[in-house]
Amino acid sequence: MKIRTMKLLIKEGAQNVIKNKLMSFASIMTVVATLFFLGIVLLLAVNISSNIEAMKRDLEITVFLNVNATNYQREEVVSFLESKKDAGIISEYRYESKEQMYQNIKESLNDDSLLEGFTVDNAAESFYIKLVDPNSSDEIITELSRFSGVNKDNGIGYGKDELDKLEGILKVFNYIIMAILAVLMIISVFLISNTIRLTVFARRRQIEIMKYVGALDSFIRWPFIVEGLLIGLIGAVLSFFITSQVYKWLQGFINGILVNLKMATLRIMEFGPVAFRIFMIYSIFGMVIGGIGSLLSVRKHLNV
Amino acid sequence: MIRFVDATKIYSNGVIGVKNITVNIEKGEFVFIIGPSGSGKSTFLKLIMHEEVPTEGEVYVNGYSVHDMAHSEIPYLRRSLGVVFQDFRLLPNKTAYENVAFAMQIVEATSREIRRQVPLALGLVGLSKKAKAYPDQLSGGEQQRVVLARALVNNPAVLIADEPTGNLDPKTSIEIMNLLEEINQRGTTVVVATHEKSIVDSMKKRVITLEHGEIISDVKKGSYSNEN
Ligand SMILES: Nc1ncnc2c1ncn2[C@@H]1O[C@H](COP(=O)(O)OP(=O)(O)O)[C@@H](O)[C@H]1O
Ligand SMILES: [Mg+2]
Repeated sequence: MKIRTMKLLIKEGAQNVIKNKLMSFASIMTVVATLFFLGIVLLLAVNISSNIEAMKRDLEITVFLNVNATNYQREEVVSFLESKKDAGIISEYRYESKEQMYQNIKESLNDDSLLEGFTVDNAAESFYIKLVDPNSSDEIITELSRFSGVNKDNGIGYGKDELDKLEGILKVFNYIIMAILAVLMIISVFLISNTIRLTVFARRRQIEIMKYVGALDSFIRWPFIVEGLLIGLIGAVLSFFITSQVYKWLQGFINGILVNLKMATLRIMEFGPVAFRIFMIYSIFGMVIGGIGSLLSVRKHLNV
Repeated sequence: MIRFVDATKIYSNGVIGVKNITVNIEKGEFVFIIGPSGSGKSTFLKLIMHEEVPTEGEVYVNGYSVHDMAHSEIPYLRRSLGVVFQDFRLLPNKTAYENVAFAMQIVEATSREIRRQVPLALGLVGLSKKAKAYPDQLSGGEQQRVVLARALVNNPAVLIADEPTGNLDPKTSIEIMNLLEEINQRGTTVVVATHEKSIVDSMKKRVITLEHGEIISDVKKGSYSNEN
């Protein structure tokens, strides 16, 4: 196809968008809504997975020693942890004495009467261990449980299983949302194809004349495809703008709540780093929706 | 140039459009297709431009086997034809000039070719002064002239006209027919379907008469009433 023909066809397509203001507006809004929903779901998924990763990295194995553990038994555990640290399996660990534990409990209870009967002596020494790779936890936990000084009954705690379970649930949740999105896309393709079908209908006389004069199918089709792509692109840009504003507002709002709840490890990500990717996804999806929509609507008018 | 070999068109509802047509139209001929309404004149022309395909038989036009043609070839067949209809079929939002230029844009002519050919075509049909007028600012005869200019601008080998004067008064009809004759004298094959007796009689051209879809007579220098 020649350049001047391409210019002509793009111009025709753009004029279609402007001429059919109401229909174009309806289609653009369909794209805006679809992409907005898509974007929110994507951003939600990104946030959930990044927070789960952060939580995993933050996760500690807690090991309590028996109340009557000896110094020797404690040193055994320490040298084990040191060797694992040298091997690059443990990133860091921290020791708490009986006194520290007693103080912590006392502070957190805020009411000395509840402490009745609880003394430094029946507090336990403890270790808090962070792993380089959260997935090596099972192995470390098994080895730790072999030490005689370690409290075998609920002496070792780790939250990873709960997180894994949470991740599993979220995965299912993701699939459901993807299915909803697919349906939504199909609906918007049909809405747009209907809109463009109306503009095709309005111009069937012109199409007929073009065919009598010997226009190639592509020549007839392109203005409508351009129309669809433009609708998709305009919708994408609008939707991107709306998404970024809504997201930024939500981000501030939710982060504020998380800080107040002292859950600052949980955090809604900044929009900036993902903005470009979201914009590209919007543009591509918008134009695919618009393009397919218009292709569907011109197809049957070309068979003469 | 145009050759029908035992061509029959039966519409999907069982109605016969044309039946067992065998005919040969040579390059440079001027042919009238006549017959009462419903006799198959339009069907005959539609078979030429591949708006319909024969249910049986063969149709050859300008070197194309129209009865057995790839979809992608149709535009090229149509470019070798100029078509004129009773109801004009101009684009209302384009001027006379733009309507004619549009036919050239569609076949990807350069803007220089367009600037040269469009005024020539409008001059040929005597409409140079109305180039900037929109269809609704033109009389019926003038609109049909624009259609003629559009049909001619790409220099087709064959011009097909289906009742081109059906919506025009007698005086204008004669003008349009004279124009068709002039176009024919420049070397274009012209096929005109009509049921206007007086015009056919006065022009002394080849006349093919259809009835119930069949050719009942084919006369050189004939007239409407000629029963051979
Ligand atoms: N698209 C169609 N579907 C069914 N029947 C048709 C169609 N077009 C024409 N016919 C029928 O075919 C016959 C010939 O029609 P046509 O070629 O239009 O005749 P004319 O142009 O001489 O008036 C008529 O009986 C008409 O009703
Ligand atoms: Mg007819």
